[in-house]
Amino acid sequence: MNLLFASLGFGMVTAAVLAIASVGFTMQFAVTDVLNLAYGAVMIVCAYVAYAVNQAGISIWFGVAVAAVLGALISVALNRGVYTPFQRRGTSPIAIVIVSLGLTLILEFGLQAIVGGNNVSYRVSQGPTLHVGGLQLTVVQLVIIGLSVVAMLAVHTLLAFTKLGKAMRATAADRSLARTCGIRTDRVVTVTWLISGALCGVGGAVFALDAGSFGATSTDLFLVLILAAVFLGGPGQSYGAMLGALVIGIGTEVSAAYVTPEYKDVVAFVLLLIMLAVRPTGLLGSRA
Amino acid sequence: MVHNAVARRMAAVAACVVAVVALAACGGTASSGSGSGPLTIADLAPFTGPDAALGPIYLASCFGATRAINNAGGVLGHTVNCKSVDTRGDPADAVPATRQMFASTSNLALVIGVTSDEAASVVPIINSNKTVVFGMTGQSEFDSTHFDYFYRLVAPDLDESYAMVAIAQQKHYSKIALAFGNDIGSQTFVAPAISAVKKAGMTLVDNETLDLHATTFRTEAAKIVAAHPDVILTEALGATAASFLSEVKQLNGGTMIPIIGTSASIDPAWYTSVSGAIGASTLASSFVADNLVVESTGPAYLAFSQNLLAEKGKVGNTGNFNTYLTAPGAVHLYDGINLAALAMIEAKSTDATVFRPFVEKIGNGVPGATVVTSFADGVAALKAGKTIRYVGPGGPTNFDSFHDSTGLFEVDTYDATGQVKVVGQLTPQELRALAG
Repeated sequence: MNLLFASLGFGMVTAAVLAIASVGFTMQFAVTDVLNLAYGAVMIVCAYVAYAVNQAGISIWFGVAVAAVLGALISVALNRGVYTPFQRRGTSPIAIVIVSLGLTLILEFGLQAIVGGNNVSYRVSQGPTLHVGGLQLTVVQLVIIGLSVVAMLAVHTLLAFTKLGKAMRATAADRSLARTCGIRTDRVVTVTWLISGALCGVGGAVFALDAGSFGATSTDLFLVLILAAVFLGGPGQSYGAMLGALVIGIGTEVSAAYVTPEYKDVVAFVLLLIMLAVRPTGLLGSRA
Repeated sequence: MVHNAVARRMAAVAACVVAVVALAACGGTASSGSGSGPLTIADLAPFTGPDAALGPIYLASCFGATRAINNAGGVLGHTVNCKSVDTRGDPADAVPATRQMFASTSNLALVIGVTSDEAASVVPIINSNKTVVFGMTGQSEFDSTHFDYFYRLVAPDLDESYAMVAIAQQKHYSKIALAFGNDIGSQTFVAPAISAVKKAGMTLVDNETLDLHATTFRTEAAKIVAAHPDVILTEALGATAASFLSEVKQLNGGTMIPIIGTSASIDPAWYTSVSGAIGASTLASSFVADNLVVESTGPAYLAFSQNLLAEKGKVGNTGNFNTYLTAPGAVHLYDGINLAALAMIEAKSTDATVFRPFVEKIGNGVPGATVVTSFADGVAALKAGKTIRYVGPGGPTNFDSFHDSTGLFEVDTYDATGQVKVVGQLTPQELRALAG
């Protein structure tokens, strides 16, 4: 029983990291129509920038903020410099996916050429491990969960209560109609790249903080978990991505406790396959 | 935010993406020659992926050895250079990379590297191309499978498993936990280690397999901590060891459980990663590893260390480069390259079908052979008409019928500054007592 509670707690931490990244990914996908597989590579670039800040003797939490800014800037640059020109030429969505795969390799191997093959860690104390009702979480893990909750509330507030959020939802639903209604969709798309990029940057830094040690290709499998969370929740559904992250995070850790840990990530895909078979639109797909 | 029809279309795109990602993960033809240009030594090993730290160690060794060879006049009028070939630590990428290496490399004289990640897939290809290879794999299948062109100067995994358990015995540990990566190279330690633990009368309290592509191992660490082991025997490369061990420390109330690692952990990248995650002083006080006995003084070590240190910086950011002086990959491949180069000179040919028998002759020696400790000394002795036996920094070579040469084991650790220290020895009797 102790192991069950412990794994539930660990699953919440995994879910917290996954939620930040997944919500950014799915928001980007819904509004911009780009399935940006370079998202994981941008995450790890941001994680290394936070590392550089941290190595300069500055708090890692400031590094997380720097990663958010850099993630936003890189994402906008990728859109302006790569994706938008391809979209203007009428490149098909699947071809743009291939372009994003190419960008992934360029970013990751470019980064590896700079930082080398060594794995690195942030200089941060995890703090004491707190034992509450069978849960065993460090202070840093609790902060990560808190950061994720704040990010999710901010996304909810943005989408539900602001003019920009409504414009984003309208652009996601039908860009032509939104433009006809007077929404400046190009600006909405750029702001979406900024916001989702910031979530990508924060996601990268907290991913690295949570992992303890990371290298230039550490987000490869994590990107697949992001895809699983996004499609489990319903593609383009921010709330679905939050729910998907929770299911994947807890599912993988609990399965590691009771099935062989080697297959914990396989469990995520079994969950995804079952979901796609039973409900192809994902957990929240029908509520759009 | 999107309509159901769009969502379904996107689900279809997602299915295509999964297929594309799978195809992207997959990755060739062959030849070797001996023309008039420089000879090439190919370092066929992971340079990217979870085991990306391995390739650069072997490349550093190659740079050191070729420096010594070229400074002594080269091989039969040829200079020697090094080339890296990335296997990404995956057989699916290693096989086409190997075929492309043979197709695109003129004057390929020797292959080094070949870890357990890719050895089973690429050694038959290299052997069929009649090219000598010095491999770093410890896999048991090479203990009893004969490949004419395959040589190994590192310990079989079987022996390393016994060595780890023998260290646990020396330290009077009785409750053992295993935590090995899910790669081929690490998993080969598990079965013999379990067998040796039983034979030693110890208790196996937990056995966790660590997915090298995962990023956290909290549940696995919690299970190990809950089992209250005296020691954890482990090999997990890449970021895995650092993440896993830091989680063990956190979940054990900030106190590290003693660790016994394999010789693969005597490596600057491993040290940098793990000491960064759990602290250098914690690592120094809680970690030991088995390693083959290598020279740390004498003429062979002096030549090796001078040549290797002269090439410092050529393989990028490696952490503490001095660790390479005791890293098995650096020491034994340096010896392998020198052995092959001297064999070419004695055979008066760079054709592997001609010089290959001389690798064993110079490695094992013949009665009355002159012992040489460097390439330059070997060339001088051969020019003087002597028969030679090469004994490098890795110690004397004794190839068996499968071209395996295993030496004695020592116990290594790191001090708080990251320097490797020898803290014990293992006798052949201790290992034999644990053999199945």
